[in-house]
This record gives sequence, structure tokens and C-alpha cells, in this order.
Amino acid sequence: MTTTGLFRGLCAAAACTLMAGGAQATGFATCDSGPREGWQAQDKLAAMLKDKGWQVRRIKEDGGCYEVYALDDKGQRMEVYFHPRTFAPVPYGAKDHKG
Amino acid sequence: MKVWDRFVRVAHWSLAACVLAAWITAEVKLKSAEPLHEWLGYAALAVIALRFAWGWSGPRYARFGQFVAAPSRVLAYAKAVLRGGEPRYVGHNPLGGWMIVALLSTAALASLSGWLSITDRFWGAEWVQETHEVLGNALIVLVALHVAGVLYTSWRQRENLAAAMLSGVKRPPEPGDVA
Repeated sequence: MTTTGLFRGLCAAAACTLMAGGAQATGFATCDSGPREGWQAQDKLAAMLKDKGWQVRRIKEDGGCYEVYALDDKGQRMEVYFHPRTFAPVPYGAKDHKG
Repeated sequence: MKVWDRFVRVAHWSLAACVLAAWITAEVKLKSAEPLHEWLGYAALAVIALRFAWGWSGPRYARFGQFVAAPSRVLAYAKAVLRGGEPRYVGHNPLGGWMIVALLSTAALASLSGWLSITDRFWGAEWVQETHEVLGNALIVLVALHVAGVLYTSWRQRENLAAAMLSGVKRPPEPGDVA
């Protein structure tokens, strides 16, 4: 292998590593939540948490669950998973949580 | 001859351990690994800050002024590497010197962005999380290139450069080497 060939190979490997990082899920938990038609709206979850005195920063989908970043009523940083059908809290490490 | 002083060696292997452990604690995707991941970031920042200070005040081969080469010299060295006629450097070679700067800066920015992502102000902010992830991945790529560079240069110069980072000792300069 020439030095130039080695260099090209390294660059290709570097590009692959960079892109692979972006494709994976955070995956602290997964939910068995079925098709999206049966899910409740994110806004409804946000409203529910707001009623508890939480300051919701962001809600996103992760592993079929809703992942919430918020400050709770005591101002603590919270990262919590909820089942998108039942809004039941999902424990960390749960696999295909039924809700 | 002694090239790498004790502080440089301890800083090198501590930072390497922090980066490796931070990578592992991120990839296991366990909530229980997060506190350790955070402390590794703080430790890395402390090591990097001390290394930067040492880069201005330490002995000859620890100094940025000794190994951060002008772009023209870096280019000339890179061309010489491609031709297979690069000279041996007792300290960092021009490409290696810039790799040190890139590694320290990227590790510092990765640590800082991680820190930012767990402040109340930026909690949940997508751009902070994305930035942290990109910097973390970039750091892993740089580490891979750094290790490849060390292996290649060790082979070219018939000198185990990783062992030299443990002992601090390198072969004294011969005619044609850059001291």
C-alpha cells in the first residue's frame, strides 16, 4: 500500500466514524408503542407536566418513547421517558416498555 | 536523551485515559454511567488547562513555541512524508505538533460543550447536545489519526514512540535529524 493510499484509507475511515455517530439513537429506554396514530400529542404531555409545576425544555421521540428534558417543580434537571400512548413514566433501561 | 518531562508524560496518559473512559461511558448508554462521564470531562479540562500552562512555561520540548510550526513548514514536511524522505524530529514533527494542538483544543471544546449541556440554562438544548456529540466524534477521529501517525513514524524511524512517551527517553539526534 502506498502512503497516499494509506492516507486515503484513513480519511475514509474518519468520515465513516463521524457519520456513524449521528445515526444512532440515545436509547436509555425503548417503548412498545405501536403505530403513531395511537400516540397522544406531545403538547398534551407538556401541558400535563406544566400542571405539575415543571418547566418543559424539550420533548423528542427516542426509541418509541417520548423523552422529556425539563426542570421539575423544585428546579431539578430531569430527563424522563414517557410512554407515548399512556404517558406512564418509563424507567431507564426498560426494553419495549408496554406502558 | 530525556525529551518528554514527567509532567508531559503524566498529562498525556491521564488525558488519554479520560478520553477513552469518556468514550466508553458515553457508548454504554447507561444512566448510571453519566456521573462518571461528567467527572471525566472535568478532569480532562483540568489536565488540558495545566498542559496549556506548561506549554508556555515548561522545558524545551514541552513548549508550543518549540513544536507548533508555520504552515509552510508543515506543508514541506507533509510532502516529504509522501515522498518517504522526511527528517527525524527529536521533539514533535510539524504534523505531530499540530495534532497536539488539535487534540487539546477539541478535547477542551468537547468537555466545555458537555458541561454546558448539563447547566440549567442549556438543559435540553438540542444545538448544545449536537455540538457535544460532533466534537466527541471528531475527537475519536483525531485520536485514531494520532495513533496512526505515531505508528507510522515509529516504523519509519525504528523507534517506539509510545514507549518514549512512557519513559521520556528518545535516541539522541544524529546528523540530518532536527533537534
